[in-house]
Amino acid sequence: MSLGSSNIQAKHLQHLRDKPIDGLVLKELVQAGLTWLRTNQALVNSLNVFPVPDGDTGTNMTLTMQSAWNEIAELGTRNVGEMAAAVAKGALMGARGNSGVILSQLWRGFSRGLHGAEILDGPTLVKGFVEARDTAYKGVVRPVEGTILTVSKDAAAAAESALAETQDPIEILERIVPAADASVQNTPELLPVLKQAGVVDSGGKGLFFIYEGMLRYFNGEPLDVPTMNVQPMSALNLQNAMESVEEGQDYEVVVDFFPDGALDLQSFYGKLEGMGTSIQVGEGEGMYRMHIHVPLDKRYEPIDYIMGLGTISKVAMENLLAQMDDIQKSKSEKIELQVVEPGQIAVVVVSPGKGLSRIFASLGAGAIVEGGQTMNPSTQEILAAFENLPTDKVIILPNNRNIILAANQAKEVTVKQVAVVPSKTVPQGLAAMLAHNPDGEVDAVAGKMSKSLASVQTGEITIATRTVEIDGVNVEMGQVIALLDGKLVLAAASVEEAVVGFLEKAEAGKHELITFYYGEDLNRHEAFRIVDVAREKYSAQEIEMQDGGQPHYPFLISVE
Amino acid sequence: MGKENTTFGSIHISPAAVATIAYRASLESYGVVGLAPRNLAEGLAHSLTREPARGVAVRFDGETIDIDIHVIIEYGTRITSVANSVANTVRFHVERALGLKVNTVSVHVAGLRVSNLD
Repeated sequence: MSLGSSNIQAKHLQHLRDKPIDGLVLKELVQAGLTWLRTNQALVNSLNVFPVPDGDTGTNMTLTMQSAWNEIAELGTRNVGEMAAAVAKGALMGARGNSGVILSQLWRGFSRGLHGAEILDGPTLVKGFVEARDTAYKGVVRPVEGTILTVSKDAAAAAESALAETQDPIEILERIVPAADASVQNTPELLPVLKQAGVVDSGGKGLFFIYEGMLRYFNGEPLDVPTMNVQPMSALNLQNAMESVEEGQDYEVVVDFFPDGALDLQSFYGKLEGMGTSIQVGEGEGMYRMHIHVPLDKRYEPIDYIMGLGTISKVAMENLLAQMDDIQKSKSEKIELQVVEPGQIAVVVVSPGKGLSRIFASLGAGAIVEGGQTMNPSTQEILAAFENLPTDKVIILPNNRNIILAANQAKEVTVKQVAVVPSKTVPQGLAAMLAHNPDGEVDAVAGKMSKSLASVQTGEITIATRTVEIDGVNVEMGQVIALLDGKLVLAAASVEEAVVGFLEKAEAGKHELITFYYGEDLNRHEAFRIVDVAREKYSAQEIEMQDGGQPHYPFLISVE
Repeated sequence: MGKENTTFGSIHISPAAVATIAYRASLESYGVVGLAPRNLAEGLAHSLTREPARGVAVRFDGETIDIDIHVIIEYGTRITSVANSVANTVRFHVERALGLKVNTVSVHVAGLRVSNLD
């Protein structure tokens, strides 16, 4: 920028500041607030975690402000009170969502404070903020703190205390904006749901952007480039940045660092923008965290650059493309259930793990209910699983002794023809599934399936949750235990020891097939290693291993 | 009304419990300044009530819940937006607390409270 044009700009800014705030300037301010809010709308939406479904806070507030702007777009009055009244009317007419209604109330109160005023001077501005707060708080019986209401309250308090030192409305606004910012950052301390989600309140943030947009207007700062603020570390929402990857932005780089001296944000952002996108900066107790997405060839550039600014304490780099592949893959791993034809028998299976669900589905299960030892599904959940199936013939496999009762109750409640095959374990359920025939009569098929339950012995390997003596076996809490068909048979120091001991108790050597289903807590390699130990010992038997995905049980074992 | 069977016994949820949740949720909704007794809703909308069961009617047909709420709204707010928020908030809180599906939430605006005339 040449010296000449910067002079002209400085002069223009001075003029803006010296000019009294009349109706037309207020109109500009409303537009600035709207524009700045709209520019940052996505950011506000991303904060939307408040458990009340309020749509998208940023969108709702922007539409409310837009409606206010539409009301005054053609209005030429210089009277600031009249202009404010029109803004309030427009905001009221277009108020959307909870935050929009509160915003319209704030404008209503603000316009009340400006009633009869020609010019917006300092005291009038303060009156407007105070009235805005009072009006907003009147609209609710139980105000929730840590929301947009709190931010309006803190802004009004800052305005009131500023009045003791200055009468200039712009200087007052200059104190309101940082106070509103601080108030927004403090919202997680007041509202636990925000703290849990690690964000600040979205409505409060939206209100802050409106205030800040007005101040930026006076400072001649651009309103169309999203904000480059530093958030508190807890407000950094890095998960959101992971959801989509732009073309060429292959790596996510996160750098924690302590800058030498104050960080010049303007140039910091400027430099980073030359390297990548999705820039976020957080700060906590003097440490800064920078997050950016960069293309492959620039992956070290942010680190080199920040190295020159201070001391780096930690660098994390992740390959986004590979992660996206994983996400895609897990989506495509959706379990495909057997399509149930009208009149056929549908089998409803209670399954404790993803891998087991997949195996049941491949054997012809028509519906899966998640559940098992520590998470018994309710009668309602079992009912819901089959009520919408296009058949009235249903067989339920509870696969756990504690769920058989709920399954029987589902049978009583429904009008459909239901049989419960009392499978007490997953291996029993799988054995029954193999005997299933979708085109028979319910009772006959269920009878056949029930008979097959006895053909299999079930082993359950798990960790003891307390010290106890059952069935003559002493168990210390934390030991690995093995159950044979529901009976405790031994306690051991390791999963491997428990598996070996169980196979002996089950007399695996006299059977043909041993199948291992390893659980979600067991590392795949460890599972392979233990199964290999079993393979060596039982070379005459056929041994299979499947990913069961069940919690709490490192292994479910079937011996048949 | 709401009944759930577990291995240990059964759980019954009374309509009054649902009404209390709905009552609290509506009072936390922005723009609602009180609930009106539904039987007197016609003429006595001003007499605000603190008794939950009076501003809220809960019906249960064995599967889903229907809720009627009679509210008094702050004059000067956009009534449709406030009523929508009430319906959403009540539905959310009841479903979260009970795990039962709420079929309809009907919000009846029984009156407006004028705290300031513009």
